[in-house]
Amino acid sequence: MKKNKIMNGIKKIAASALALTMVFAMTACGGNKTNGQDQSGNPITVVSREDGSGTRGAFTELMGIMAGDVDNTTPKAEISQSTSVVMATVSGNKNAIGYISLASMDDSVKAIKVDGVEPTVENIKAGVYPVSRPFLVVTGKKTDELTKDFIAFIMSKEGQTIIEEDGCISVKNEAKAYETRSGLKGKISVGGSTSVAPVMQKLADAYKAINPEVEIEIQQTGSGAGITSTIEGAVNLGMSSRELKDEELAKGVKGETIAMDGIAVIVNKENTTEDLTSEQIRQIFTGEVTEW
Amino acid sequence: MNIFSEKTMKLVFTLSATVSIFAVIVICFFLFEQGFPAIGEIGVLDFLTGTVWKPLEGQFGIFPMIVGSIYVTAGAIIIGVPVGLLCAVFMAKFCPSGIYRIMKPAVDLLAGIPSIVYGFFALMVIVPVVQTLTGTSGKGILSASIMLAIMILPTIVSVSEAAIRAVPESYYEGSLALGATHERSVFFATLPAAKSGIMAGVVLGIGRAIGETMAVSMVAGNQPILPDSILSGVRTMTANVIIEMGYAEGLHREALIATAVVLFVFILIINISFSLLKRGNK
Repeated sequence: MKKNKIMNGIKKIAASALALTMVFAMTACGGNKTNGQDQSGNPITVVSREDGSGTRGAFTELMGIMAGDVDNTTPKAEISQSTSVVMATVSGNKNAIGYISLASMDDSVKAIKVDGVEPTVENIKAGVYPVSRPFLVVTGKKTDELTKDFIAFIMSKEGQTIIEEDGCISVKNEAKAYETRSGLKGKISVGGSTSVAPVMQKLADAYKAINPEVEIEIQQTGSGAGITSTIEGAVNLGMSSRELKDEELAKGVKGETIAMDGIAVIVNKENTTEDLTSEQIRQIFTGEVTEW
Repeated sequence: MNIFSEKTMKLVFTLSATVSIFAVIVICFFLFEQGFPAIGEIGVLDFLTGTVWKPLEGQFGIFPMIVGSIYVTAGAIIIGVPVGLLCAVFMAKFCPSGIYRIMKPAVDLLAGIPSIVYGFFALMVIVPVVQTLTGTSGKGILSASIMLAIMILPTIVSVSEAAIRAVPESYYEGSLALGATHERSVFFATLPAAKSGIMAGVVLGIGRAIGETMAVSMVAGNQPILPDSILSGVRTMTANVIIEMGYAEGLHREALIATAVVLFVFILIINISFSLLKRGNK
């Protein structure tokens, strides 16, 4: 009797396993037809970064995906928490589109032209590539000598070399060498954009190596908070990854561009698309357009 | 002198014994202290049953993530348990000792592979295969489930194998004596007797699958939406925490910790059912 019961149980499990396999097989066959060689008509796989990422913030803002304060990125977009996973996803999926910082670009994926402009260092320097953003340092009404000297260092040949080594694009082609002044000491507090902070940290380390008696403290609070702190005088130097707004300029702060950062829109190498307009990119990332 | 060393060692042992308990208490305290205010602020119902997760716009619904965790784990169990169980039966009852000497270390090695390696393996091998077969992006419940099934195999295999080996040989011999074949004896006499041990292995596997983070976040797609098919992308609770923790501030950060609280409760339930099963075993 007992054996029978167990037999029945096992039969049931086997039956459900079989049913499940069939469901798997059916979904597999059903989808197979869309997998043609021709790109057109294939569903687009949108790859985005996570909420709060600086790259996502800049990209959604520059492409108009952000309307007001609302990020309209399609909820169907795949989310990757690092640049390398975005690249691995796009390089392995013919229908994927994503975006990464230009500094991370390599041969595994293809960067497309945006509004007909190729994402190159020259085009970003010339200001014609639309998906680029400036890195600014922001100074208030009163700037002490030490902070001025630090800015001079950032804009010097040494400073701009560090910026290029970090993968950003320097803004001065023929910067003068930094003139070391003796006897500098004190503390500089820097606050603002989390995107600028990594390169700022490297600049600060190099500056401290030249001027050992200077302390530099860097807080990552985001561009807006950094500019506000500069206006209030809470920090000596603000960092921003966007241009200053008119109302901020009216409050007496000045911005100086120390570097440029470009965001490359990337697709799979097999994708035949070479060129998209900003409007097309916006439609893809908001989910209005879902097929190539 | 002897008394001194006796006492010192006693202290050392006591300290070592309390470290793990202390760690659990501190973790609980941290989680609940940081997570509960956020749950209160968002509202328990809005938090647990809300279907929209837009942290920057103040919408914190983790229902899609709860569903995602359950789907992915269920998928892993459906694929992993039959394979693991049959593998354990083979290793315990059918395997020639020469093959066993290779198989046992291989299964153990599977347990030792870091999860990020599984993640990259899945991203490079499983995802493209699913992509070619289905014409979707390949990232989603199916890929994550297949990968997790492989990841929980060693747990299920080793616990089940131990459970099968623990069944008294007399069950098997009695069945043979009644005229049953080797296969019948193994599947209908030995295996049912090892049931609760096998269940414990499955529960441990569930715990491993639901808690897996890095590898899942690489292949699940991470869309915070309710999945509409087995190929749809999902975000699990673990992935939600790891993906957004880096940049989150304020309530967003607290909501992520609150997600961890929910996950912790799930793990707690799993562990309690595991101990209940173990008690039933005796």
